[in-house]
Amino acid sequence: MRKTSILLLSLTFIILCYFTFVSAKKVFRSDWQLSQEINHNVDQHRLVLITQDMETSFWDQVESGARKQALKEGASLEVWGSYGNNQEDFLEKIEIALYSKVDGIIVQGLDNEDFKDLTKIKASFYGIPIITVANDVPMSESFRRTFVGSDQYQAGRMLANELTKEMGTSGTVVLMYDSEHEYYQSQRLSGIQDVLNVYPNIKTVLAQTSETREQVLTTTQDVMNRNPDVDAFIAVNANFSAGMVQEIGKRSQVEPYFIYSFDDGPETLTLLKEEKLDGIVKQSPEMMGEISVQLIMQWLNGETVPLNIDGYFTDIHFLKAVDVQ
Amino acid sequence: MNSIQKKILTLTTVVLVIMSVIWVALTYYNHKTQNQYNEILQRYLSLNEVTSASQQLITDLNNYMLKPTSENLDLLERSKEELIEAKLDVDTLRNPENHFTLSNYISLIDSLQETTDRFLLYYSEKDTEASTKEFTEAMNISNYISEMTLTLLDTELKTHDKFYRSIIERSGEVIKLGMWLLLLITFVLIFITYWFSLGITRPVLKLTQAANELSNGKFDVEIKVETNDEIAFLARTFDRMRNNINNLISEIKNKAQLERELQENKILLQESQFRSLQSQINPHFLFNTLNTLSKKAYLEGSEETSDLLVSVAGLLRYNLKQIDRSVTLYEEVAVLKQYMDIQKARFTERLKLILEVDEDCLFVRIPALTLQPIIENAVIHAIEPREEGGTIWFRVKDGEDMITIEIEDDGKGMDQEKIRQILEENTMETEGHSTGIGFSNVVKRLRLFYGYDQVIDIFSDKGNGTKVALYIRKEGVKKG
Repeated sequence: MRKTSILLLSLTFIILCYFTFVSAKKVFRSDWQLSQEINHNVDQHRLVLITQDMETSFWDQVESGARKQALKEGASLEVWGSYGNNQEDFLEKIEIALYSKVDGIIVQGLDNEDFKDLTKIKASFYGIPIITVANDVPMSESFRRTFVGSDQYQAGRMLANELTKEMGTSGTVVLMYDSEHEYYQSQRLSGIQDVLNVYPNIKTVLAQTSETREQVLTTTQDVMNRNPDVDAFIAVNANFSAGMVQEIGKRSQVEPYFIYSFDDGPETLTLLKEEKLDGIVKQSPEMMGEISVQLIMQWLNGETVPLNIDGYFTDIHFLKAVDVQ
Repeated sequence: MNSIQKKILTLTTVVLVIMSVIWVALTYYNHKTQNQYNEILQRYLSLNEVTSASQQLITDLNNYMLKPTSENLDLLERSKEELIEAKLDVDTLRNPENHFTLSNYISLIDSLQETTDRFLLYYSEKDTEASTKEFTEAMNISNYISEMTLTLLDTELKTHDKFYRSIIERSGEVIKLGMWLLLLITFVLIFITYWFSLGITRPVLKLTQAANELSNGKFDVEIKVETNDEIAFLARTFDRMRNNINNLISEIKNKAQLERELQENKILLQESQFRSLQSQINPHFLFNTLNTLSKKAYLEGSEETSDLLVSVAGLLRYNLKQIDRSVTLYEEVAVLKQYMDIQKARFTERLKLILEVDEDCLFVRIPALTLQPIIENAVIHAIEPREEGGTIWFRVKDGEDMITIEIEDDGKGMDQEKIRQILEENTMETEGHSTGIGFSNVVKRLRLFYGYDQVIDIFSDKGNGTKVALYIRKEGVKKG
């Protein structure tokens, strides 16, 4: 009896000691330091990649390529941008980047006055190099160092060639393009037109629209009303493809039409997989990111001065809906 | 001798030390936590400082533009300096997560300064258009600063999210720790207090028990308390007292015993004296008469009668001496012979006496008139009633450590009841015509004189005679 009670008491004592000790350890041994501070001399080049379409699959790939390259080069890179083509926000980001005196800006070109104003005057005032990526703005208007992206004229030609292969040399083709007359779109457009104009039996219909979805829908409707015999649609601005396909789908089957676009819209890949688009011109966004970072680092380190003003073109190829399946 | 006090002091010290340790630990913890909170707050405050400094700068800029006095210019300069200070403060908040943004932030502040400087330059050159443009730009930059402050605060929260949570967790853990600690201390203290109080109360309990036993009259249980405090001292003193009382009581008992024995002795003596006095009717007259009779018988030629009369006179003289004295066995045997001479004269041929006496034993002391009543008893019961007479043996034998005196007859014997009565010293009515001193009186006196019970034994069978044996220890003899 006595032995049992002594055993019980010591057991209680040990258990209490154990729990107290564990608790005390948790209280007194936890991390008191807020976070390690770094010395100020870590002087990496600060690069900013600014786009209008954050978190679309196209720009995600550009970003991952750029990040990979930045890691390799030992530069710190941040990706800023606006969502859903919010130009005001986009321009503000550029302005902040300039005021922040980053070492280099890689930016999706935007062919309007404010953009040109910023890149031309402010950037040269602060002496910050700018490289346009994916969408170009001519050197003369933007003072960009160089352009990294697809050769949009060639992309247009490639698309038109594929179209003639599929459709034949006669038919009506609707070209949907932006009312903003962006540089890269006009290049694509001229590429397409240069090919199609060779065939006299191909009739091209130019449909100009603004970026809002309603407007795209209306324009598509309008075009189809005027040209009931239309055979093919080309969304020169990839952002239109979704609205266009939706409107066509409302009227009839999507399949009989040849619908083509480019890959830099938010929904193009999905539409392709659903066979709503028949084919797209696939660019190499990851490569764009890589090369742009590489070039700007070369420029910052004074290895390649000046950069090629005409730009560095990345690969393009054509992707059919059949191939994706 | 102050060990109970010492024990109490020790206990108090232990409790005090435990409490102080806990207090110190908690204070230390509190201090650390406080520092941590301060640091966190400081980070947020210095970020906020930049925002308010930049806004103040814009306000001062605006005021100066509206009212270009030197006073406003001073204010402007001062807020510019504040901004620079705030910038330096913020620069220390750098960590891997906010490195990029913080660099941008600091550059933004620089840009704001530069823009302000340019504004002042254009303003002094009265270039209104350019200065207005710079003002707008400064305002934009100030807005960007505010925005970026929010971004930084957000980053701060995200970066330190885990850390803040750990702080919250820890404060929960502190309560748990407090609970465990309370339980542990309670347990330990209860245990120590129990053990400690046992150390005090156990000796007290022992003492109480001992006192209880003493009050119940048990004086022979030793009181033992094996501690080294005041109680042990008390117990020792108590034990000494018990011993003393015990000794006193046994002494008193002894004395009472002695007194009782003495008293008894006296009563017996008085009784025998009384009896002997009864027969002392003018003993000298009787004695002289007997002597005269003896001489007359001798002169008349009756020598036998003369001798008999001398024996009677000797016996009478012996009897007349004080009875409360001891004599030697030798005297006692001599008297016995005289007595038997008288009896022989009476019973002539019927009485046969056989003496077997070891002469070495006759120095032994023995109460007076002890053998004669026994042999008288033998004569009365063994010779008198029998026509053919009988034989009486008287033996004195030397043994290892005691002397045996035997008186044996071949009479009709005694029954066991009677023997028992004699040995238990019960007085019984004397039968026949003895000299007066009863058998039981003899037994009592022998026992009193020698101080042990096993002094006499009687062996008898109905019809086969009786044997009375006296055992006298030699050591007892020497003492007597």
